[in-house]
Amino acid sequence: MTTTLTPGPATAPAPAERPSAVTPADLKNAGARRRERSARVKLRVGGVCTLLVVLPVLLASVLPLPGPDEQDLAERRLPPLSAGHLFGTDQLGRDLLSRILHGGQTSLMIGLLAIVVSGLIGIALGAAAGFFGGWVDAVVSRLLEAQLSLPLLLMLLLVVALFGPSIPVITAVIAIAQWPEVARLTRSLVLVERGKPYVAAATVLGLRRVSVLTRHVVPNVLPQATLVVLLLLAQAVLLESALSYLGAGPERPFATWGRIISDGQDYITTSWWLVTLPGLFIVLLVVGVNLLGDGLRDRTRRPRGLVRRVLSRKPQEA
Amino acid sequence: MATYIAKRVGQSVLTLFLTITTVFVLLRLAPGDPAAAYAGPNPTTEDLERIRAQFGLDDSILVQYGTFLKGLVTGDLGTSFSFQAPALDVVLERLPYTITLAVSAIVVTALVAIPLGVWMARRADTAKEFGANLLTITGQSMPDFWSGIMLLTVFAVVVPVFPASGFTSWGGLVLPTLTIAILQIALISRMVRREMSTNMAAPYLTVARSRGVGERALTWRYAMTNSAIPVLTALGTRFAAMLNGVVVVEVVFAWPGVGSLVVRALETRDYPLIQATVLVTAALTVLVQLLIDLAYPLLDPRVRLAKTAKQKTAPAVAAPEGALA
Repeated sequence: MTTTLTPGPATAPAPAERPSAVTPADLKNAGARRRERSARVKLRVGGVCTLLVVLPVLLASVLPLPGPDEQDLAERRLPPLSAGHLFGTDQLGRDLLSRILHGGQTSLMIGLLAIVVSGLIGIALGAAAGFFGGWVDAVVSRLLEAQLSLPLLLMLLLVVALFGPSIPVITAVIAIAQWPEVARLTRSLVLVERGKPYVAAATVLGLRRVSVLTRHVVPNVLPQATLVVLLLLAQAVLLESALSYLGAGPERPFATWGRIISDGQDYITTSWWLVTLPGLFIVLLVVGVNLLGDGLRDRTRRPRGLVRRVLSRKPQEA
Repeated sequence: MATYIAKRVGQSVLTLFLTITTVFVLLRLAPGDPAAAYAGPNPTTEDLERIRAQFGLDDSILVQYGTFLKGLVTGDLGTSFSFQAPALDVVLERLPYTITLAVSAIVVTALVAIPLGVWMARRADTAKEFGANLLTITGQSMPDFWSGIMLLTVFAVVVPVFPASGFTSWGGLVLPTLTIAILQIALISRMVRREMSTNMAAPYLTVARSRGVGERALTWRYAMTNSAIPVLTALGTRFAAMLNGVVVVEVVFAWPGVGSLVVRALETRDYPLIQATVLVTAALTVLVQLLIDLAYPLLDPRVRLAKTAKQKTAPAVAAPEGALA
């Protein structure tokens, strides 16, 4: 099962007695191989970028850093690389790196929770709409369309103003903003799967419709749906930072990235690092996640090992 | 055709009505007293009550909703608390700025993103395309408020080429446009590349090539015309979203459009102003979407609006990718 299947031409080098016009160099430059190479590069670069942000953020409380809320008015707005402050300090003398890392924990947690929620809602509703059709589809599709014509960011700001900028509220708001994308994709994938013979076979064998959907159809669309959900993590982090920037982000326990940037904006002419460095953190993380998603989508070979088991799980019983 | 338009307009009006009602209810549920926001520091109870009575906030929600609906029919959206002027007028005064910004951003986006996407599709899987790909990924990964501040710092503070904020001269349009365009170019060009790659691998293109059609015509006349609908839909959806106010960018550049207006209105709990902004921008958005749908048959003779109304909505729904302006 784990023997790798390299794409056709590569496994069969031209036998010496019958020389082929296709040289090894041609094989190496063939479109599929090049795509595979670029997918590999994307996966690696994306992985490195993501880890560069995620690891320090996870280790924030272990690393030897000053507390994120420790003020020292004598050490205000120190430039980066000052003694004891790798990223410098902010307008209240707080260590910028420590603030970025601790704020990142909140940002990441909100992002992850949001995509789990939006993924679950989106896949469930999208799959139901695509599989059952009829009024279920009508309701879900109208909901999707209605949300498209709403002034989204404004609604999000409104809801945050209504329920207060707590972490659950912001998570819910981001999930609400994102579920349509998952639902749309899942619905269209399920529409394709529904017409395939195995669905008819399962129905003929006497499986209930719900079981056909959950045991056979959903596992087949999960890999692609999961990929979109992963890409949504990037969107969620961006959205959370935009909300924070507009003053609708969580304040507790620590200010998140968008908030740090909007606080630093007042000092941009004298202290460039207060805005630039947190922004670079966001960019690095989002680029990393986007590259990972792209790489996973582009790769021609089926993923091996753990990734494969997660992404292309087969139903347990046929 | 006429029935189709009538049906779509009817749907749009219903959408608008639901939107504005949602906003109305959400606003009335929200904590925070507009009277307190308006009265200034240390108001007395009488002050607050007087202000509430003046704004009609002491009525029950149902009565307020009735008044609101009555005003809606006559085109009176109430008086803005903070501007002390008809809310509709305040919004309409700001609207041209947002439209200017949205138009210039979408024009720049289209001019750059379409050729870039086509170029990437024709150079698919080369090192150059890979580089362009990385650039677009970076472009779509930057938070717009951050890239805005960065552009502002470099081109308005360090090298003062453009004005830093507001709309004092046409030069003030450059930086906000750029900020929006960076993100949109990244998204749209990737989409153009995807569409073009699909069409360039299609059998009809091979047939045309074998009949001796030149590469330039193959790209622009054959593949592009078939990619036109999804591309136009994406551009239109983006444009419509921008009309809702490119909130973040307007705040960064202190742009006097509806986006920054609405943030301020939310802070001061200026109910009529929020409602008016939502209604006007949502109406514009719906209108733009309707125009896009009407343009389909012009681009693709196979599309018949009235009959295939159901299929036609498919591209419109599938388009946006991270559609948050």
